[in-house]
Amino acid sequence: MTDTIIEILNDITGADDGEITPETELFEEGILDSFGLVELLVRLEQFQVKLDVANLTREEISTPAKLAALLG
Amino acid sequence: MFILEKLAEYAKTDRIAIVYGDERVSFAALDRRADAFAAYLKRELPESGAPVLIYGHKDSAIPACMFGALKAGRGYIPVDTTFPPERVQQIIAQAQPELVVDLCGAKLTAQRVLKRDALDEVFAQPCKPAPREGWIRPEQTAYILFTSGSTGQPKGVQITAGNLAAFHEGVRVWFGGMKPGGAFLNEISYSFDVSVCALYEALSRGMTLWTADKQTLSDPHALFALLREAQIDEWVSTPSLAEICVQSAQFTNELLPKVRQFLFCGEVLTKKLAAEMFRRFPGVPIVNAYGPTEATVLVTGAEMTPQMLAADAPLPIGAPFYNVQAVIAGENGEALGEGQDGELLLLGDAVSPGYLNRPDLNARAFFTAPDGRRGYHTGDLCRMQDGNIYYLGRLDSQVKLNGFRVELEDVENNLVKLPNIARAAVLPVMQDGKVTALTAFVLLEKPDGESSLARARRVKNALAAYLPSYMIPRKILAVDSFPLNTNGKIDKKQLAAQL
Repeated sequence: MTDTIIEILNDITGADDGEITPETELFEEGILDSFGLVELLVRLEQFQVKLDVANLTREEISTPAKLAALLG
Repeated sequence: MFILEKLAEYAKTDRIAIVYGDERVSFAALDRRADAFAAYLKRELPESGAPVLIYGHKDSAIPACMFGALKAGRGYIPVDTTFPPERVQQIIAQAQPELVVDLCGAKLTAQRVLKRDALDEVFAQPCKPAPREGWIRPEQTAYILFTSGSTGQPKGVQITAGNLAAFHEGVRVWFGGMKPGGAFLNEISYSFDVSVCALYEALSRGMTLWTADKQTLSDPHALFALLREAQIDEWVSTPSLAEICVQSAQFTNELLPKVRQFLFCGEVLTKKLAAEMFRRFPGVPIVNAYGPTEATVLVTGAEMTPQMLAADAPLPIGAPFYNVQAVIAGENGEALGEGQDGELLLLGDAVSPGYLNRPDLNARAFFTAPDGRRGYHTGDLCRMQDGNIYYLGRLDSQVKLNGFRVELEDVENNLVKLPNIARAAVLPVMQDGKVTALTAFVLLEKPDGESSLARARRVKNALAAYLPSYMIPRKILAVDSFPLNTNGKIDKKQLAAQL
């Protein structure tokens, strides 16, 4: 799942392969804002995964690895 | 003026006007602060009536300064902190305000600057209610809003107190049902004219503004906590905010049991979102409304129906308010009939007198009809069908992103000012017929040896010194060359294929 998330993030942000790692801080480093996050979540829906954003703080989803762990 | 009269009326009650975090500002406190600020302006500034610029973000002092300026017979220029100081300085140079209220400690150069502490002292001064005969008059400019301009410099739309009165009359069809004491979602930045719905419409009907600042809006967890506490009665937002909300299964009529209606404006409402809203809030009307800043906030609207969702056409933006005339015009200005595509022209008392100090733009964008009414060329490609107007796109390169107007050339002109960028082209990224982000293609003067993300971060940071945050492209892609059309201009159609 981490790889899938990074692949989508590369597409959303135009990053080269390997630039975004599982540990990259997505909000702190200005890679994602709330609209970018929504786009990521919408794209993840095609993999039948759904996160409830109302239950999550930014800290809990701040890196691709943390996000992947939540998605299981 | 209606809002000032209503403020004075509600000031006699114990109602709350603004909730912001733990802060509660009563109508009485708001009205008193406005009077104190008006007294300060009368005492300290010359009688020229030049507007006051207010720089800050969602601060409860902002509405007090706005209404205080109106009580002193002056207009105001609200500038949100999404505008970097450099851009505010451009606005100051254009508008020459006699006073800048700086609520965020920026280092601005102006004739006179009033900082936070000094403003608090002004608010604490004993004062009498500002005399009505000195209040803003219908023909005077109430506010100037600066929007993206294609030259790379912002342009200021002037709205008079008379324009606002016309809007207040016209929009009654959607807002007449607002209940005193109810909760209004106050999410829109004060430098974007949809915030007039909160400041003039909701407050003049005795509602409480539940304020969501940019931190709350960017953190769904915090936003939902606010929605849960506020029990919103009246929802006015961009569709983009609702797109964020529907990412949570909790966004249903259980979270908002009292909501009377959803009014969406500022950008395209997609059928996908409308269908989702119908499903989650059965029986709650959804209004798709439309209006350019130049014609005062909103001029058309329609309640969405299941039939509209099922139709082939995009969702309609509805019929004009009773005091607005809408005409679809062909290339030579001739009025077109039903079913024909053309530019939407608007006529009526809500149309602005024009852009500040821009006779060149005004001659193109505004006109006076033979019967004396003011008219505006919206630049929006529309069609009229069965009494409804359908928005089909722009005739120029302006886009709406999360409700904000962005001239793509404005971004491009600021990109090429940066070092090592020879040429730039900015394109909207579309999803379901709605712009979701901007992508910039840049041609470097010489290779910089940077990775894409590192370059994107550097360019975005540099751009942030000149442009508001919503105008900064999400993606910055370096290209070796640009596809050109026969005029030697960048061929954006070909470039779009690379998105």
